[in-house]
Amino acid sequence: MTLASFSSASRDTSIGRLAVLRVPPTVALSFVVIALVIAWSLAPGLFTGHSPVVGVPADKLLSPSAAHWFGTDHLGRDLYTRVVYGTASSVTSALIAVVIAAVAGGLIGLLAGFLGGWVDIVLARLVDVLLAIPNFLLAVIVVTAIGFDTTNAAIATGVSAVAVFARVMRSEVIKTRQAVFVEAAFLMGGSRWHILLRHVLPNASRSVLPLAVLQFGLSILVIASLAFLGYGDPPPASDWGLLISIGKDYLKWPWLVYAPAFVTIATVLSVNRISRWLRKTD
Amino acid sequence: MRGTYLSYAAKRFAQAVVVILLAYVFTFVVVSILPGDPITNVLRDPQNGFSEDQIRQIIAAQGLDKPIPVQLWTSLSNFVTGDLGLSMRSSRPVTTLIAEVLPSTLILASAAFAIALLLALTIAYGTQFVPKRFGQGLLRGFPSLFLSVPNFVIGLALIHIFGFQLGLFRVIAPDSFWATFFAAIALGVPISARITEVLIANLDKESEQEYAAVARSRGLGQARLFARHLLKPSSLPVVTVIALAIGELLGGSLITETVFGRTGIGSLVQRSVSTQDLPVLQAVVSLAAVVFVLVNLIADLVYPLLDPRVKLIGGPRVRPTTADDAATATSAAVTS
Repeated sequence: MTLASFSSASRDTSIGRLAVLRVPPTVALSFVVIALVIAWSLAPGLFTGHSPVVGVPADKLLSPSAAHWFGTDHLGRDLYTRVVYGTASSVTSALIAVVIAAVAGGLIGLLAGFLGGWVDIVLARLVDVLLAIPNFLLAVIVVTAIGFDTTNAAIATGVSAVAVFARVMRSEVIKTRQAVFVEAAFLMGGSRWHILLRHVLPNASRSVLPLAVLQFGLSILVIASLAFLGYGDPPPASDWGLLISIGKDYLKWPWLVYAPAFVTIATVLSVNRISRWLRKTD
Repeated sequence: MRGTYLSYAAKRFAQAVVVILLAYVFTFVVVSILPGDPITNVLRDPQNGFSEDQIRQIIAAQGLDKPIPVQLWTSLSNFVTGDLGLSMRSSRPVTTLIAEVLPSTLILASAAFAIALLLALTIAYGTQFVPKRFGQGLLRGFPSLFLSVPNFVIGLALIHIFGFQLGLFRVIAPDSFWATFFAAIALGVPISARITEVLIANLDKESEQEYAAVARSRGLGQARLFARHLLKPSSLPVVTVIALAIGELLGGSLITETVFGRTGIGSLVQRSVSTQDLPVLQAVVSLAAVVFVLVNLIADLVYPLLDPRVKLIGGPRVRPTTADDAATATSAAVTS
């Protein structure tokens, strides 16, 4: 909450507190953006009085104004409202994707790095295969195979990012395995599983956090791209990618593209900034 | 030394072949778990007017009634001999379909690649020589910004500004020079981001080296220092990233071709997805894997020749910027 009060009247103390935390202003701003996005997805009704589905046909294609911040679409629906209501599914799906990628990829990397030998060789080939197919193409064929909707798009995006996590986790595990304290734990008679869970996993997964945050931003983009191609939920859902896709047919009213695009870019940019900051402070 | 290189090359080559075959199997498995039964759906299409008996005959003739592993084996051996099967929708050879649209995608991808390289070089040059107070930080922020913009948004913005407002090109003539040029920008900008990141990180490292300080103290101008001394050592690790970028070009063309209304591999994939034309999907994905693996193989094989410092002792992954790093290129480079 310190961060939220950054722009309020108590500016000096906030900056002072931020300086203690060593949070650069751009990172603080990024946290504010993410906090807003989370708030939008938890309680969209608090941020807008319009309906995301029912429009006023007389008010169609209005330019942005005080009444309609992002203007209105071809059915007279308030675009800002549509963006706010689309946030939940855009953000949750990216979260699902990251969880799938981090858990599956982390497990593969952990086993490959810790067990070594033929397990490592087999898993390394699997990861090579996943890397060999271009990410987006992989996501497209997976979502084709399991059916078009937003959750499936999230699963497909997650699958396409497994390899990245597996690689990072594997190299971190190998690095940690060679550390003196792991050797000491072995010498003290610690069992393999105990060492794996208590020593290797916590240390190796520290560097996975910034990667997961980065991947969260990328996943938002990939899922938006899948939604743009029509592989997500159909309208009247209002995922950001879908909104942009609808807007492209009305380029004479460019805010239909630019407003949802701006929200997407601001979110991903903030996520990337936070990821970079996490890596630096690590 | 020569012997080590040859055995290294042989090992890498064998690995590449294995990965390509496994990628084919992987795609086959993913595609064959499709819900419904697209094959009989096509055959039962009333327009085709097949009787149940004929349908059974066709399925038997194509070997589609055999168990999945047998089908996989047949399909895989055909793939190895270069036979990619027939499209389910048009009954034409998949190789012909791909050959028809390939030139358009190649033009787009190579233009995008050239733009990405040019952009990366310009920005990286700028970060080295633009003073801090004149916006060096801004330049350093570019890769991160490029990575945050969906490439269809770049495409739509370009169409809106240069197509609609300035009238430079018309969307109904997607193969005109300007339309291709802007499509290539939309495709190239996100790809340039990763190249730029790695290039900047390496330039930063090189410009702190003693030889750079010596060159500076000899009074060498900034442009010459960049071109004659810093660029060459800094661009070696970029080779790996470039190999990765090829895959992204293929994936990105799917979106860019849709946005700009071009006919190419990307739009072929999109059409095949909506008609569930499995042989085409299988073929395109496998070919993408082949291209990706080959480009990476070449990068791996050329690398030790370009950089004599690289030692070929500890197995295949010995480059300073290995595939591991490249996978996290975004993360690694952003740190600096």
